[in-house]
Amino acid sequence: MKLAKYLKPYWFLAILSPLLMVGEVMVDLMQPKLMSRIVDEGVLKGDVGLIVRTGLLMLGLVILGGAAGFLCAVTATKASQSFGHDLRCDAYSRVMGLSLEQTDDFTTGSLVTRLTNDISMVQDLVSMILRMFVRAPIFFVGGIIMAVSMNTSFALALVIALPIQLIVIFFLLSKASPLFGLVQKKLDRVNSVVQENVSGMRVVKAYVREDYENSRFDRANSELRDTNLRVLKLMSILNPILMLVMNFTVVAIILIGGYQADAQALHPGDIMAAVTYVTQILFSVMMVSMMFNSISRASASSKRIVEVLDSAPVIESGKEVPAATGDVCIEFSGVSFRYPGTAGLPVLSDISLQVHRGETVAVIGATGCGKTSLVNLVPRFYDATEGAVYVDGLNVKEWDLSALREKISFVMQKSELFSDTIANNIRWGKADADDDEIRAAAETAQAASFIEGFSEKYETFIAEKGASLSGGQKQRMSIARALVRRPEILILDDCTSALDLATEAKLQAALREQLKDTTVIMIAQRIASVRGADRIAVIEKDGRILHCAPHDELMQISATYRDIYQSQMKEGGAGHESA
Amino acid sequence: MNQPKGQQQNRPMAGNGGRGSGGPMGARMNVQKPKHLWKTIRRLLQYIGGSRNILFSLLLVMLFVTVLELAGPALQGAAIDTITVDTATGHISVDFPKLWTLLGCMAGIFLCSSLMTYFQGLLASKLSQNTVYTLRSDLFAKITRLPIGYIDNHKHGDIMSRMTNDVENVSNTIAQSVASLFSSVLTVIGAMVMMLRYSWVMTLIAFITIPLTMVVSTTLSKYMRKYFVAQQKLLGELNGQVEEMVTGYKTVMAYGREEEAVKRFEDASRRLRHVSIRARIWGGVMGPCMNIIGNLNYLLIATCGGLFIIRPVAWVNISLGNIQSILQYSKKFSRPINEIANQYAQILTAIAGAERIFEILDTPDEIDEGKEELAVEKLKGNIDFRHVAFSYVEGEPVLRDFHLSVKAGQKIAIVGATGSGKTTVVNLLTRFYEIDGGEILLDGVDIRSVPKADLRRSIGIVLQDTVLFSDSIRANIKYGRLEATDEEMRAAADTANADIFIERIPTAYETQLAESGSNLSQGQRQLLAIARAVLADPKILILDEATSSVDTRTEMQIQQAMVSLMENRTSLIIAHRLSTIRDADVIIVLKGGVICESGSHEELLSRGGEYATLYRNQFAGIAT
Repeated sequence: MKLAKYLKPYWFLAILSPLLMVGEVMVDLMQPKLMSRIVDEGVLKGDVGLIVRTGLLMLGLVILGGAAGFLCAVTATKASQSFGHDLRCDAYSRVMGLSLEQTDDFTTGSLVTRLTNDISMVQDLVSMILRMFVRAPIFFVGGIIMAVSMNTSFALALVIALPIQLIVIFFLLSKASPLFGLVQKKLDRVNSVVQENVSGMRVVKAYVREDYENSRFDRANSELRDTNLRVLKLMSILNPILMLVMNFTVVAIILIGGYQADAQALHPGDIMAAVTYVTQILFSVMMVSMMFNSISRASASSKRIVEVLDSAPVIESGKEVPAATGDVCIEFSGVSFRYPGTAGLPVLSDISLQVHRGETVAVIGATGCGKTSLVNLVPRFYDATEGAVYVDGLNVKEWDLSALREKISFVMQKSELFSDTIANNIRWGKADADDDEIRAAAETAQAASFIEGFSEKYETFIAEKGASLSGGQKQRMSIARALVRRPEILILDDCTSALDLATEAKLQAALREQLKDTTVIMIAQRIASVRGADRIAVIEKDGRILHCAPHDELMQISATYRDIYQSQMKEGGAGHESA
Repeated sequence: MNQPKGQQQNRPMAGNGGRGSGGPMGARMNVQKPKHLWKTIRRLLQYIGGSRNILFSLLLVMLFVTVLELAGPALQGAAIDTITVDTATGHISVDFPKLWTLLGCMAGIFLCSSLMTYFQGLLASKLSQNTVYTLRSDLFAKITRLPIGYIDNHKHGDIMSRMTNDVENVSNTIAQSVASLFSSVLTVIGAMVMMLRYSWVMTLIAFITIPLTMVVSTTLSKYMRKYFVAQQKLLGELNGQVEEMVTGYKTVMAYGREEEAVKRFEDASRRLRHVSIRARIWGGVMGPCMNIIGNLNYLLIATCGGLFIIRPVAWVNISLGNIQSILQYSKKFSRPINEIANQYAQILTAIAGAERIFEILDTPDEIDEGKEELAVEKLKGNIDFRHVAFSYVEGEPVLRDFHLSVKAGQKIAIVGATGSGKTTVVNLLTRFYEIDGGEILLDGVDIRSVPKADLRRSIGIVLQDTVLFSDSIRANIKYGRLEATDEEMRAAADTANADIFIERIPTAYETQLAESGSNLSQGQRQLLAIARAVLADPKILILDEATSSVDTRTEMQIQQAMVSLMENRTSLIIAHRLSTIRDADVIIVLKGGVICESGSHEELLSRGGEYATLYRNQFAGIAT
């Protein structure tokens, strides 16, 4: 088990716990022996003193055993919970180091389950193993020794019963264990149908697909029920058979005991004790079977956790932190890109582009032409498939990742806000920003006016994923977040699409005023948004850049740009030319 | 047999994550006792009652099993009693014919009881699975019938958590508790009766430890519950953190906040560990405590029994075998009492979960009282808003005395600043929300008088936030019209300009969309949503910022492709982008919930009002 090393720091507890369990088990094992002594030597011989003495001894042992059992529970819990905590933190920090393509692969839902449910599952198993793995074998071996030591002929019953139990257990578990994984899968399916419906309820209702969705859910739901039933049906054979074998063994023990007693080799009290031991032995076998049951359930979980732990980030940090020198701030050199794991034509091909310090370069192009992919390469969300991206003259792959990303503010197409106050959301850009800085950033981002409109202003709490804000408000908040850190490089990925025209114009003006020294790459759809840029790069349908020039020049040389211009300006063109 | 029950009991609770702790309902979890304990139990029983036959057969089988299990120790004791010791000589003699008969009976009983136990297992799993299935189905069907407002105002995580965690919780408890409660009660009664048969004195002695058991277990479970509730809450918090950070991972990365995120997570995880250790220690104490009490009981019976045998008392007549039987029975009845105590916490959690489920089930359905049939095919598409008033939050009206008249076949554009109520108009027309005053007419018919299904079938809608399902592109487009042929689907994709990029993917229409849709760009997702609406072939088409991430040339191509399609159809377009709305027959400018001006592009421009300002603003400051 790869996860065992997480138990290492707690080796002391992990070893102590089973040892304490040994104490508890010893007491449990001695008890029937003492019991039979009370009966055989005390009761039959009329020795009341012996009964009381043995009784007190027993009571003392029981308390001792109980204390040992309690301490065992404490140590096992401490060890397993600490194990779980370490594992969880480690897995989480591993996730926080993954590259986007990897988190995409895992999917959010699955990562959440892995970090919480799966780890809980394994953690519970550890706790159970610490307490049970010792208990069961000791009961087993101890019980056998005690039973056989009373009379060797009892061994006969055990020799027959034990293999039968083991065969039954292994047969059923080998049948059931693939089903456990299947149950998990079906449960995932049910969850995902619910999730899609809850978040996509408007579409479901708009297309009157309630019945369709209900039948889709019913399919998932009944598949889950049927799979669950299959497992349960299988597992419900287990206990009756084990019980049957156990009870028949008890019958056999009494029978053997009867003959042995008739031969004067055994006392009735011994038979009672033997019955108890045999029951203990067989119960320990059932315990083991239960354990295997949880192991096979937890092994699926541990596999899923190990998968997370084993995935080394595809994008590894370099070491260098160069000074910002030279005229060229960002350079794309012969860059081609295709999303990892996809086939077909590349998204970007052979792109070369230099962005100068303090320059604003706009990127424009058709839907799906790779605009977002291009800017994703700068903070190394992804790596270029061919060619290289340089920032301050150094290949981004050599850059220390956190230093590189510290220079850059990236505003995404889809605003991602966190359930926290407005001020804290903006503070994401700069952890130590004071209230003035936050207000200034909000001001520039044209967010101040609506924030001031809330009764609690900057302390207003934002609901999950910003659900309480309109699209335009969310976008302005994420722009404020980007501005508060006064970045050297600002990347705006079509992040003003939900702003009304007036607000966007004001925002553009404020940005120009505030960001004189900042290098800006801006993706946009509207000519109006990009016109003011120093240069505009036009990405063609095939993912190449043919032209990168100021607006006026592009109008002359780029047919694509003229097309885009026409599509937006064909009427009333004269009006804005003069504006 | 002395296996501490405590730790098994921990598992179902630990395994259940979910974000149930957040939101307004989260507070309820902190309440230690469910609010309407008996009412909820009664309702739950009704659900179980759905499988009445199974339930009764189960109870019957359990009755058999309990009786058979009670007979076991009696026979065993009798069997051992056939071996007698002459107290004087110490000679042991065995009554073999009697021993054989008794053992034969035992074998038969064990066989029967195993068989019955098997049936019991089968029936119990069937019962719990059926109940859960029905509960889930009802809950899901209910969710599809809920008003949008409910979904908008509740944390999705919380709704999800009720659907999964709470249902799971209830099902586990039903499977375990209904069965074990019944058999516990039976066993306790049965064991008591059997013990009384041997000796009432011994029975009393065996009873001495019962109050002790109860006191200890209720005290312990009180502490356990406290920590388990706290544990669930923290687990939910942790889940929330993971989900939020992973969903917003790109932002976390972009701002280099990984370390802080990890620190916050560690902090929450540490608190969870703290509480969990305490929860489990209390749970762990339960086992040994019960063990001590059990042993104490054993010892008491053995000692007293022994004493009675040595010093026979007139009113206590007891044999060695009897002591053995009484010992077995005392174990048999102290266990169910432990079990009931043990399950107390779990049962309470499950009932609290059931209340959360019933709370959703009790939410009124979306209002849909319309009876008048709407001939979707013959619809013309005239829309009239008359004196419409609406507010999401009482006292903060979004629309006031709103009038809007759209003639069939017209293309209407709505513009206005963020928060001016554009999307609200759509929400009201589709009856996602109900108007507070006035009326909305479709071809002269009040939309409240027609069934919602008919109304919505006549409207195709493309939303601001693109919703796609994690299914193939084909299935996503065909969602608009399930029975559409592949040709029709392709034609719709063609109209939406989506076929070009779809065909460029090697797997084309069979491409599976990822959960986050990360394998498509925002713009491409919007094109798919448009294709879906086009395929639905509605009389009225609503595009709410449907092309905000699509480039303007593609948008133009879509518009051209839709010209013929939109003949004789009404369309409502909400957009900021001028190119999107310029061609509209009527442009409506919304401001503060009322229409401040309307007319065609040219009319409005020459009027020099609000629209002209908006329009000019688009270019203001750009021409440097």
